[in-house]
Amino acid sequence: MKTYLGVDVGSVSTNVVALNEECEVISRQYLRTSGRPLEKVREALRNLNSELPELDVLAVGTTGSGRQLTGIMIGADMVKNEITAHAYSAIHSYPDVRTIIEIGGQDSKLILIKDQLVVDFAMNTVCAAGTGSFLDHQSERLDIPIEKFGDMALNSKRHVRIAGRCTVFAESDMISKHQFGFSNEDIINGLCEALVRNYINNLGRGKVLEPPFVFQGGVAANKGIRAAFERELECEINIPENYDVMGAIGAALIAREHFLKTSEKTKFRGFSSVDLDFTPSAFECDDCTNRCEVIKVEMDGKVVAMWGDRCMKWTNSVR
Amino acid sequence: MKITFPYMGTVVIYKKLLELLGHEAICPPRPTRKTIDLGVKHSPEFACFPYKAIMGSYLQAIELGADAIITSGGFGPCRAGYYGEVHKKTLGKLGHNIDIMILESYKRNFKYFWRIVKKLKGKNSWRKVIQVFFTVYELAHTLDALEKIVQVRRAYETEKGSFSRAWQKVNERFDKEVKTKKDIHRIYKESKEYLESIPYKEKPENEKIRLGIVGEIYVVMESSINLNIEEVLNGLGCEVERNLYLSEWIDDNIMPKMFARTSMQEKILNLSREYMEVRIGGHENETIGHIIDYKKRGFDGIIHIMPFACLPELISQSIIPKVSKDYDIPIYTISIDEQTAIANHITRIEAFIELIKGRKGTQALS
Repeated sequence: MKTYLGVDVGSVSTNVVALNEECEVISRQYLRTSGRPLEKVREALRNLNSELPELDVLAVGTTGSGRQLTGIMIGADMVKNEITAHAYSAIHSYPDVRTIIEIGGQDSKLILIKDQLVVDFAMNTVCAAGTGSFLDHQSERLDIPIEKFGDMALNSKRHVRIAGRCTVFAESDMISKHQFGFSNEDIINGLCEALVRNYINNLGRGKVLEPPFVFQGGVAANKGIRAAFERELECEINIPENYDVMGAIGAALIAREHFLKTSEKTKFRGFSSVDLDFTPSAFECDDCTNRCEVIKVEMDGKVVAMWGDRCMKWTNSVR
Repeated sequence: MKITFPYMGTVVIYKKLLELLGHEAICPPRPTRKTIDLGVKHSPEFACFPYKAIMGSYLQAIELGADAIITSGGFGPCRAGYYGEVHKKTLGKLGHNIDIMILESYKRNFKYFWRIVKKLKGKNSWRKVIQVFFTVYELAHTLDALEKIVQVRRAYETEKGSFSRAWQKVNERFDKEVKTKKDIHRIYKESKEYLESIPYKEKPENEKIRLGIVGEIYVVMESSINLNIEEVLNGLGCEVERNLYLSEWIDDNIMPKMFARTSMQEKILNLSREYMEVRIGGHENETIGHIIDYKKRGFDGIIHIMPFACLPELISQSIIPKVSKDYDIPIYTISIDEQTAIANHITRIEAFIELIKGRKGTQALS
């Protein structure tokens, strides 16, 4: 089957999707990155290959913080930032979308769209209090699985205000609210509201948020957060079916567009390439006072890419 | 006197000024991680980032033997006005008794300005001083004209890095060979030919992206501090122009009006009046004025760079959404301090450029 692959290597999860020619998701792999991004990409590709062994890959796109390295490892045709990737996938699922809310593991994004074009965006800059990692941390601390957070928040009976400006203060506030006898449900709901408030204050500052809204990223699984957004924005929020792999879908769509425009043969190294020995390393070049940190990537002992040098002498040395 | 200065932009200009007046000029090394670490160590935590970086440069220059510093000042509530005095005090506490000369616009405090000029004059005749001044003035305009070629063509270079390397070579040549105005004209002609001989592949007019860079002077001018923003943007295929060039600063602040070749300041300040009626110090009026000017000149977007928590630029930052909306121009703000990491910014800058491409219709989404 002809297919387009999208890979999103994020801080918390590594996702791979395969789209068919009609842009439908035919396979999706969602793995926790656990600090081993390259290994997880390999694992995801292996899973995908064993699920659908007869794939004919037309084009591959990568995105996420590990996009460049992964792009080299698997041979991507398009390497794009995650803001553009998320915009592509959201517009694909909801062509009239105006505001995209994306909350992932370590960063959150707000993307404003007009006539299917990105007109403005913001990413969190200060603190992780508005992101998935913080919820993860709290779920561990309270010993409640993260999957249950949403339902618990919806069962809240009393309103609790948690200080959400900073993770550390939010945590101390939660601890003291516990001591005052609030239930877990109330506190989790308060936490969801704090996260939403923080998101709107931090990213939405000075921007007009217009419906229709699309909410994606791993945190969209949390019904409590969705409800808190709907209360805050006084509007219904759409959550796409594949909300948690929208970055990867966007990367695949970008690769598809590139393929349709150029009909270039894909650079994809094939599913067997995952078994090649692939080692990135870094060194400080001390040929001049710039002292650039140069990244070197070797595949089976052969240097396949270098970057990070200002003068480009290392970058250009790889052909 | 062995005089040093903050490392900012095309340093060969300051160096030449001092050398031609017969002083020994100590050029600090281009700021690196080490410079910043050194500066941060000897600065108050809440001081602005340029203060810290410059502190590091001074300490490195003192290590090289400098015993006097010449720097620029500031006015209004902007803290740049205190840099000189506070630097002097801290350096004194560290055991470096050093003379700091603050070069400011003669329009604000003529007496002080005159005292500095006399100090720099030393035993030279006035004729010589004026001659040197005009030579350096010529040099500043020349280098800025050459830099503008690099800032445009580097966006389309066929071999990555070729323009940056050439630009470094050109700077070194000026540093080594310039003694008189004649040298400047000769090297200018040769350098221009040299830069224009470097292969590049221009894009069709409708696909070109022109970005204006605005913000606080130090972070805008010094590439080692601002993540090499001009190279990064050029590398992504965009032409760039800064709101500040040393030659224009000299025209606006030092050069008597009848001799000045450019006069941007008045025009820019007038443009900014629509949003700010008073001057706050720093470059906030220039920031706003230049954004409007860039829009009028058909630029596609603006990169606004500010030191983290810079007071004047925080004010411009809060006005920017309105300017962006009123004038329909995308603006992206980057705030920089010693904690800044490049990876996050690259993602955002890339997305910003996609946004501009989308607006231009060269690459509509889906």
